[in-house]
Amino acid sequence: MRGSWRSKLTSSLFVLPYFVCFALFLLYPLASGIVLSFQDYDMLGSREFIGLENYKNIFTPGTLIHDLFVRGLSGTFKFVIYSVPFLVIVGLALALLVNALSNRVQGFYRTIFFMPYAISATVMATIWMRVFDTDTGFLNILLDKMGKTGPHIGWLNDTPWVWIALVFCTIWWTVGFNMIIFINGLNEVPEELYEAARLDGANAWHRLIHITLPSIRSISTVVLIMTIIASFNVFAQPFLMTRGGPGYETTVLLMNIFAVAYGQHQGGAASAMAIVLGLIMMVVSTVIYRLLSGRRG
Amino acid sequence: MKWLHFTLIACLVLALTACGAGKSGSTSEADNPSGSSGSSGASDSSKSSDTSASRGKTELVFWSPFSGPDGPFMKKIVDAYNEQSDSYQIKFQIQPNGDYYKLLDNAFGTKKNMPDLMIMHLDSIPTYVRKDLLQPMDDLAAKAGITKEDYVDAAVSYATIDGKWWGIPLDIHPLIMYYNKDLFAAAGIEHPPTNREEFLEAAKKLTDPSNGQWGYVMPTLWPQQFIFPSLLYQQGVDLVDADGNPALNSPEAVEALAFMKSLIFEHKVSPENVAQDGEVKLFLQGKNAIQFNGPWMKDQWDKAGINYGVAPIPVFFDQPGVFGGSHTFVVPKEQTDAVKLEGIGDFLKYVAGHSLDWAESGQAVASKQVLASPEFQALTQQQTEVAKEFDYVHFAPPIEDWGSIVGELWTQINLTLLGKAEPQAALDEAQKKALQAIEAKK
Repeated sequence: MRGSWRSKLTSSLFVLPYFVCFALFLLYPLASGIVLSFQDYDMLGSREFIGLENYKNIFTPGTLIHDLFVRGLSGTFKFVIYSVPFLVIVGLALALLVNALSNRVQGFYRTIFFMPYAISATVMATIWMRVFDTDTGFLNILLDKMGKTGPHIGWLNDTPWVWIALVFCTIWWTVGFNMIIFINGLNEVPEELYEAARLDGANAWHRLIHITLPSIRSISTVVLIMTIIASFNVFAQPFLMTRGGPGYETTVLLMNIFAVAYGQHQGGAASAMAIVLGLIMMVVSTVIYRLLSGRRG
Repeated sequence: MKWLHFTLIACLVLALTACGAGKSGSTSEADNPSGSSGSSGASDSSKSSDTSASRGKTELVFWSPFSGPDGPFMKKIVDAYNEQSDSYQIKFQIQPNGDYYKLLDNAFGTKKNMPDLMIMHLDSIPTYVRKDLLQPMDDLAAKAGITKEDYVDAAVSYATIDGKWWGIPLDIHPLIMYYNKDLFAAAGIEHPPTNREEFLEAAKKLTDPSNGQWGYVMPTLWPQQFIFPSLLYQQGVDLVDADGNPALNSPEAVEALAFMKSLIFEHKVSPENVAQDGEVKLFLQGKNAIQFNGPWMKDQWDKAGINYGVAPIPVFFDQPGVFGGSHTFVVPKEQTDAVKLEGIGDFLKYVAGHSLDWAESGQAVASKQVLASPEFQALTQQQTEVAKEFDYVHFAPPIEDWGSIVGELWTQINLTLLGKAEPQAALDEAQKKALQAIEAKK
């Protein structure tokens, strides 16, 4: 009895530092966010409980909160749909590429591809705005030199180019993270499987389809879900590079939540919007997780 | 098992949400009509001036959003004040410009780490006065010997609400015209344009698309917040009607937007699809002859070594009129310490007499005493041109959270100037959303 009590205490102590951080930086903000979503809070001191009013507004067509929510959500959804496939596939492709290199240069290229991930949003945006600017941007000047005539393409304010630009710079900025996880997954695949396949005469394509991909299935699911969640949280790229334009085409939900909180001074409504977004993310992630892991049996 | 999966995914979602927020938290908000860092994203951490030699003196914490190149100019004034004052020590703190109002709101909301004195943009004063967070400056000013007549009228009368004076002005920063002197000389244009005809003539002469050179590159985003209202004031109307209700789709507003659009698609003095700061980048490269922007851009032009001139905005319609912002000093309501209030008055009196250092940053100050001084009159490169506009400068309508009411306006102007919307329909939509935003406040 006594021993088990002590061992429980010891193990609890090991978990404690993490739990304190978890409670302080996740549980407490989350709880106060939920409380806030039931209040009318002007962000300056006065708050009162108004029940489900904030949530009701989100789902009542014609209200400011509803319109901002729907517009923002559609922008966010578009970004998720356009960016996630590329982030996963390019991440995997880079991982395969780097893994196929000789050991001596592997580390070098891994670092190169991962480096942009460490850059801050502001720097990333500044770099890519220089590339994508309509009249002084590197890309349009390059196109001019290659003989393109007519008005310049508005990479940051014309559809569909604006989405291509945003997805492209997002890939450059964050794909290194997915690549690293994929590389770890690839290293776990037993070498014997490949040797056996080679003896049976399988070519590189067959080895990829029949050995590599099935072996990294679970890690791919993790990458996919993390990428979806990260893409739902998109903010910096459109906020800094396109300002949500042209019009509100690339205005994503986090930008509108921000505008409701600090522009409109309605902290409660902003919290409710954030919580509904969180719930949508949970549902999407759960559905995809179950779809992918369910098939295994 | 189901629950375990769900919980794990929930934790993952939350963890990544938190990471995402952390990553984006450091970005700056250039949409904020701040006038201290312009288009460059300034995100310095807060710096405070030295607190040496403060023993025995009453310390006053002073917040400002001057994280751009203007910070050192204010620090110079504060340091000089601290040097000569035996009773007070100003602790000057610069907050990141993009996050300034977030930090202010947090301080007001939590009543913690509240500064004793702070800079606030003039057009934010109505919002904070209506929320009962500021202190009238009348008593403080009277004790320090500061009178309303010491400052430019426009800023004083705007800051007077319900008969009380809420903010003592430091400067006024209206929209002004910058032009490239070399391009003007090459095109044989003698003086900067002063009206619509001269402007169009000059802009057309200065445009040479084959060379990538444009007469007036039309911004589609910032600083439209300064340009569009200016064109309304020039027709004798405002963004609100006489009762203070939004009037974003008035015939005058449609006329103004149609005129701006015609510069791109009819007169073709501007390229299409101008991206954010596109007009600034082209101006820096000597490919944009004229642009309208705020006085805070001076530092960028100087560093780039452009041969530029400054002049008031041309009169495109019937009368001169220009949109401006203004930095003012305000005191939070909680500040009731008589000694500190006296110190604040003493400091503001000093600033009124010594704001020439602030003018050195390119700003035109609001103190009449400094404006009239020979030292200010000698600053002919920009400051005196800016001061010429003080007689007809207008500020944003004094309405709570005005910024969020006109949020859609800038979106619709953006669409119109990109050729994706027509002026009337765009402004009708902006008006509809403005009324909706007001409804949401009730």
